[in-house]
Amino acid sequence: MSVRASPTAIVAGAGAIGAIALLWSAPFLWMVVASLRPDSAGSLDIASLMPSWPPSWANFRLAWESADFLLNYWNTLMVVAGTLTVQLVTMSLAGYAFARLRFRGRDLIFYLFLLQLMIVPPVLIVPNLKTVTRLGIYDTLWGVMAPYWASAFGTFLMRQTFLGIPRDFEDAAEIDGCTLLQTLRYVLLPLAKPALIAFGIVSVVAHWNEFLWPLMVIDSPSHRTLTLGLASFVSSGEGDAEWGLIAAGTLIVSLPLFAGFIAFQRQFINSFVMSGIK
Amino acid sequence: MTALSRITLTAVGVATLLSASVAATAKTSIDFYFPVPVQGALAREMTRIVKEFNDASPDIEVVPAYTGSYDETRLKTQAAVEAGKPPAVTLMSANFVQEFVISGEIEAIDDLLTENGGDPKTFLDDFWPALRGNATASGKIYAIPFQNSTPLVYINVDHFKEAGLDPAKPPATWTELADAAKKLTKRDGDKITRYGFEMPGSYDYLGWLTQAFTMSNGGQFFNVSAPGEVYYDQPSTRGAVQFLHDLVFTHKVMPEGVIDPNQTSSDFFAGKASMVLLSTGSLSFIRNGAKSPYTVAFVPRNVRNAVPIGGASLIVFKGITPEQRKAAWKFVTYMTSAETLGSWSRFTGYFAPRKSSYDLPEMKAFVAEHPDALIAVKQLEFAQPWLSTYNVVAVRKAIEDQVQAVISGKKQADEAVRDAQKNADEILRPYNEKIAHVSGL
Amino acid sequence: MRSSSLAKPMLAAPTRRRLRAFLLLLPSLIFLGAFTYWPVASVAVDSLFGRRLGEKVATFAGLGNYLRLAADPKFTTAVLNNLVYIAATVLPAIVLALGFALLLQRSTRFTATLRALLFFPTIIPLVGAAALWTFLFLPTVGLIDYYIGRLAPLSINWLGNPDTALASIAMVTVWKNAGYYMLFYIAALQAVPQDLIEAALLDGAGGWQRLRHVVLPLLAPTTAFVAVIAVIQAITTVDHVIVMTKGGPDDATNLLLFYIFQTATELHDSGKAAAATVATLVALFAVSTVGIRVLERGGRHVG
Repeated sequence: MSVRASPTAIVAGAGAIGAIALLWSAPFLWMVVASLRPDSAGSLDIASLMPSWPPSWANFRLAWESADFLLNYWNTLMVVAGTLTVQLVTMSLAGYAFARLRFRGRDLIFYLFLLQLMIVPPVLIVPNLKTVTRLGIYDTLWGVMAPYWASAFGTFLMRQTFLGIPRDFEDAAEIDGCTLLQTLRYVLLPLAKPALIAFGIVSVVAHWNEFLWPLMVIDSPSHRTLTLGLASFVSSGEGDAEWGLIAAGTLIVSLPLFAGFIAFQRQFINSFVMSGIK
Repeated sequence: MTALSRITLTAVGVATLLSASVAATAKTSIDFYFPVPVQGALAREMTRIVKEFNDASPDIEVVPAYTGSYDETRLKTQAAVEAGKPPAVTLMSANFVQEFVISGEIEAIDDLLTENGGDPKTFLDDFWPALRGNATASGKIYAIPFQNSTPLVYINVDHFKEAGLDPAKPPATWTELADAAKKLTKRDGDKITRYGFEMPGSYDYLGWLTQAFTMSNGGQFFNVSAPGEVYYDQPSTRGAVQFLHDLVFTHKVMPEGVIDPNQTSSDFFAGKASMVLLSTGSLSFIRNGAKSPYTVAFVPRNVRNAVPIGGASLIVFKGITPEQRKAAWKFVTYMTSAETLGSWSRFTGYFAPRKSSYDLPEMKAFVAEHPDALIAVKQLEFAQPWLSTYNVVAVRKAIEDQVQAVISGKKQADEAVRDAQKNADEILRPYNEKIAHVSGL
Repeated sequence: MRSSSLAKPMLAAPTRRRLRAFLLLLPSLIFLGAFTYWPVASVAVDSLFGRRLGEKVATFAGLGNYLRLAADPKFTTAVLNNLVYIAATVLPAIVLALGFALLLQRSTRFTATLRALLFFPTIIPLVGAAALWTFLFLPTVGLIDYYIGRLAPLSINWLGNPDTALASIAMVTVWKNAGYYMLFYIAALQAVPQDLIEAALLDGAGGWQRLRHVVLPLLAPTTAFVAVIAVIQAITTVDHVIVMTKGGPDDATNLLLFYIFQTATELHDSGKAAAATVATLVALFAVSTVGIRVLERGGRHVG
């Protein structure tokens, strides 16, 4: 079936979606413009999208000095990396069990796993805080990570992925004398790479941006993650918001993720496709 | 120098070094939570003050933590206490002290005073009388005021002159305020381009300002000696809420809906509001950001001049080690010295809680140079305690939600104060039924 | 003979299988147990007790907390608000996501750029988005009123007016998530023949039919998946409420999770907060069960 797509239709479509995308990005445009604008408190034109010239780095400098962004970055990196690492282990093992092994109660236990998809830690804040305190990991990054170390989403994903991999590979590995763990590590996981990448991205973004749970667990400023640093940045005592400064701070927090996404966009989308998240 | 004496000298030197480093590692570390925005000038100044103390006290290290707004500081502090790791000292909103007294989590300053040679009976004498209500409970001192404020009207001088009003004679009564606002409000067809009067309507601010209007209408929000009694459904409160309603809908001089405090100051700077009701705590901010001349004035009276105090006090927590307790006391004493309070006041615009701060030469010079600071202090004569009850945030929100509904055109004042009283009573019921008897308050 | 580190020749095969399964599941089960199941049980138990500010011991309350919960107008408001909020976020987000995906599913440099722009909101933390949008929503000086003000003499107090506050919060969520859901649709569209999509987009009236009757049904599993995620998100994410409106004005933006947060931290009413949490969990459970069943059915059709 061939379609005649008139050039005007294409241009119109492109124009429409382009305009929408521009509107969609207006907040970001403002964020960039405002962060580079020298202090304009009290001006009626704080919202203006017209950049002022010359651009001033004052806001960034002040933002960087005021909050301990470097420390916050480090903490966030630790949290994301630590969470993802353990998640990959637990979800691969569990996903394999559900995909390949037959045992009594398997479906029931699988449903129990799926429950975690909706019972997110913020809903169970009070009891989880108690657990974390009793385990002695209150006000530590471990406390931030621990509730997420089992991932229903990840397990579900791994199960789907493993189900889609023909058993030939594992049989071959078995014949070659591989243990279960070796099979997983050298045969199955490499084949599951797109799904692992997709999950990795989802997990990193989710935990990079997490707020409520870290807010409750972390006390000391030295353990603050980026979102906590940003939030304490934004909330004012008695109403003197310096919007340029806030814009600069938000930009500082988000920039690495933007850069990361732009760099890996193709892989990102591909992994979504190939992992069969449909 | 003989070889022996050189060796001895070296040995002595090494020993001194070692003992110094041992002493250094034996520093008592205490956490200090305080509510300021991290990026603000206030945070930088606070850091400087804490560092000064740390440098001057070799055996103590105060670790400051910026914990956001007053509400967030309360949240964080409570979470830390519940987790068994309370901070040693917190700068807590003055009206939250009562809650901590009820929960039994803070130290009575009385005890700390007597331990360190002070006299609880005379300690508060140097502090403005208006501050004592929020600093004490059942006759004991629980908090030491650090920074305080009252509501204050900021006036755009140019707008006043333009409207034929005299900036040296700001509105002193509610009627005068409404009249002046009417003259100052500018319209472009149906749209208002300049409001005669504007004030924040967000949580915490709105309750405070409504309390100011209630008080200037002859009333008070609560019973200072009984943290379970509030007076919302009273003629004085009703009148205050009605006045706010009228400013928005009858006189049409105040914007409708809830206004963010940031927006209020932005509008003032931009000339979109001629008179704004803010805190004396914003004095420095306004002074530095105003592009045209301004002046300040008392909150206008209807029956009397009366305003609630605002601000924050230092409280010390139980559950810390004896060394930390000593360190905390030293820190608190330093922070609440007349000099420190004075310099913080000059920097922030909050007024200094100690009367003696105003006797210091730096302060006298400052006040002479900034008459607006003097007006803020003068209003203290009429100041009274801030709403501070059991579950104060919920009780405060009980009236705030209603007033928000009124200024958004959703409710009338009568119904609003009735509902506020009903809701507040419900919130206070567990206290009045059970806890009041148990804790002996 | 293969050497299995887990082989125990003395046990029967089914037991060995069970043991292996158990060991593989153990890590996940430990964490699930500690941070999901035990808390659920703990909250359920807590909901039967009560402890207020100033009380040292919890007293048994039976179903008292639930009764007080049902009688609390704030709770009813929070539930209703949440339902409205769900509708106001899930539907627009899905429609927009689908629209974006249809228009951008071909990978060119142009579409890749636009996709990135649409996805950026998802990447920033919600508190960052909240900070931005607080400014955008400022009456008169904020971005929205500033530019709208050029066209019409309007100055809407988005967050300060009880009528518009919830819609404003919903707007932030839609802005944040539409790009994310778009990606799921793009992935799904890869499996749909290109011609079909183009015909649907460019054929005017006929294309609309094609869209509705051919393309959309093919995307049904994705829609179901996205819908479930979106609904769960709408119930469990209140970062922006905490930062922007704190439930106000006058409870206009009070959502379930925020109500729980407030009850626990402002009212110090642990029993009631626990009861509300149980109620929320039940709701979430219902949503997930429905969602999973729909997904299974969809999965069976396609996969």
